[in-house]
Amino acid sequence: MKTIAVYSIKGGVGKTATAVNLSYLASLSTPPALICDLDPQGASSYYFRIASSKKYNSEKFLQGAKKIYRNIKATDFQHLDLLPSDISYRNLDIELSEEKKPRKKLKKNLEELGEEYRYIFFDCPPNLTLLSESVFAASDLILVPMIPTTLSIRTYTQLQDFFEANGLDGSKIRAFFTMVEKRKKMHSDILHEYRNHEGFLSQSVPYNSEVEKMGIYRAPLNAVHPASVASKAYSALWTELQALL
Amino acid sequence: MSAQQRTISLMLKPDAALHPEPHEMLPPGWQVIHRSSGSEERTFYDTFEWHAFEKGMALVKIKNRFCMLDLASGSEITSVLFTRKPAFFPVTLIPEGEFKKRLLSCTTLRSLIRHCTIKTETLSYRILDSNEKTIAFLSRESLSLVGPEKPEPFATLFSFTPLKGYHEEIEQFAASLSSHEEVAERCEFRDLFALIMHHAGCSEKRYSPKIQLHLERDAPVHESVRQLLQATLTQMQQNEAGIRKDIDSEFLHDYRVALRRSRSILKQLKGVFELEALTRYQEMLKELGKRSNTLRDRDVSLLQQTALATSLPPELRPSLTLFFNEIAESRTQLHRKFCRYLASPSYRSFLEEWEAFITEPSLPDPLQAPNASRATHEVAVAAIKKAWKKLLRHGRKISREATDSELHALRIDCKKLRYLLEFFSSLFGHKTMTPAIRHLKELQENLGNFVDAAIQLQMLHRHLLSLPPTDNPTLSAASTGGLMTIIYQKQEKARNTFHEAFRAFDDEKTHHLFHTLITCPIEP
Repeated sequence: MKTIAVYSIKGGVGKTATAVNLSYLASLSTPPALICDLDPQGASSYYFRIASSKKYNSEKFLQGAKKIYRNIKATDFQHLDLLPSDISYRNLDIELSEEKKPRKKLKKNLEELGEEYRYIFFDCPPNLTLLSESVFAASDLILVPMIPTTLSIRTYTQLQDFFEANGLDGSKIRAFFTMVEKRKKMHSDILHEYRNHEGFLSQSVPYNSEVEKMGIYRAPLNAVHPASVASKAYSALWTELQALL
Repeated sequence: MSAQQRTISLMLKPDAALHPEPHEMLPPGWQVIHRSSGSEERTFYDTFEWHAFEKGMALVKIKNRFCMLDLASGSEITSVLFTRKPAFFPVTLIPEGEFKKRLLSCTTLRSLIRHCTIKTETLSYRILDSNEKTIAFLSRESLSLVGPEKPEPFATLFSFTPLKGYHEEIEQFAASLSSHEEVAERCEFRDLFALIMHHAGCSEKRYSPKIQLHLERDAPVHESVRQLLQATLTQMQQNEAGIRKDIDSEFLHDYRVALRRSRSILKQLKGVFELEALTRYQEMLKELGKRSNTLRDRDVSLLQQTALATSLPPELRPSLTLFFNEIAESRTQLHRKFCRYLASPSYRSFLEEWEAFITEPSLPDPLQAPNASRATHEVAVAAIKKAWKKLLRHGRKISREATDSELHALRIDCKKLRYLLEFFSSLFGHKTMTPAIRHLKELQENLGNFVDAAIQLQMLHRHLLSLPPTDNPTLSAASTGGLMTIIYQKQEKARNTFHEAFRAFDDEKTHHLFHTLITCPIEP
């Protein structure tokens, strides 16, 4: 089992679109795959038209593999399951802080799922909290989508500093650019500057209005429009990632 | 979209006036989308004794695969590529693998018989919830029997297979449907299997080679013996078709056991029938048995062909093929002859006469048959005691050398006792009878190994003496000699362990069991 966290401190950078499309691609190439929606907003659950069961909440999520397994739902795509988010996840940090070893909790809870899934993706909320730290410990790779802007670069630096200050393994972090509009000079310059930068993937995902329409399709773009520019970029990104894992 | 949850099936009531469409049954907000439609044939197999069914499995041929299904859930345990659809075939024809391995753990001797073929017309749908998310697959199956007549559907099923995580919703929905006036209760796969077999006319033909009588303690023994003889006659008749079609060698085996059981009881329980009639029928049953003696010996040899051949070094194996071919050829002729007899008017009239004799309820003349009216339990106790004591007496007398004739005779004593115990078993406590029979079986196993080896040795010896001085007699003689050595060693092993096996039967524990049997039959 390989675990990939799609993470950014900053919101609106395309984390959910990345997690949804990459998990779909993983389910096609190396099935089966699971996507864990950790964001209380539940965007990836929404994209797959899945709502959590009424009985499911953050407490259940922290209780271990059995409770988690019971709440996993099949998506409409073969070999791709989803653990839906619940609004109670907004309290995950508080609940985690009451656990004995909060930073190792997620890793421990998901260990048993390794028998069932080849890939697990975390669609993370945009913040840097105890849950984020638990995600870092549980992930083999932390994939950071970034819009080529100065603010995004700043959050990336902040993340690296945090890893260094807390003695975490920074080599897990891999960044890539999303929503790239090459006609914009800043995008073009930043892309050029970070072209061979350590920790950055060479594949980027261009801005494509089709990605925004995933909210209408409520399905991975790669499933609905595999020939779109963004779909092709996600496919190439997945190929690059697979070589790393 | 993985459908890993258990399928829930509901049966449409056979007398339903309306056939509801799937969309008419859904709760508000849900919808169905048609996926596919199609039809396929499913052919059900099992052995004559329903070995797979007894082990909780159904064997179904679907397209070019042979599937082993779990009777409780209907889910596939394993399957194998198998393109043919014969009326019957030995398990050895199935390609090597998990399927064959599991089946051989149920039976090694019995062939699989095609019980019936059904045609399934299926309409498949996806069920979407109010988010337009697929939550289950729905199939509407119409089942009809494939046969010479135009197929008429005998059942309509709605099957729901929830996707992972949606079992609760579908369970609740199915529960609400169960109260729908057109839909019957939930139908498990086992119920469906029983329904199919019922419509195919197979369900009432369950067969068991065991004698399962419920005797009455105080009933006249004449009545109880007739009950047994009717049961053994039924068994013989049940096996006739299998013998004629040559499905497997167990049909003849069971036929002969039923015949032997009848003869043995008639011989051991004296004074139950009028002597003149008894003598006549005993003679006729004996003659009937004799007609298949050699045929059965050939069956036994052929059943051991593989085991015997592989016990020889590879260089000597090819010359054995000729030998077994001769046995197979002789067996074919004997089988044909026996089948001709089974179809002959003399056999049919014997059966009719015999049936009339054993169904005649009135007690015979007490002067001619003084024991006929005695209570069954009294006769049972006396007969078991006599047979057991005789077995002990003869067994203890067997010399240190344990000669062939001594062991042959003791084996017959064992069989006599075994038939008595099985006949009267319903009169005794299960806790005493079962271990008593088990102890006896252990001794019989030793003697059976010995006698089987003796028969094979005789046959091989005859073969050795009859080898023609043509072809390559040296190799044939060498392979026959090799086999005789191996079988002789097995026979000697059985001979050497006989006294140990007999001591185990003649021990305090077994004595206690038999004492309990003959002193405390169950109360009325």
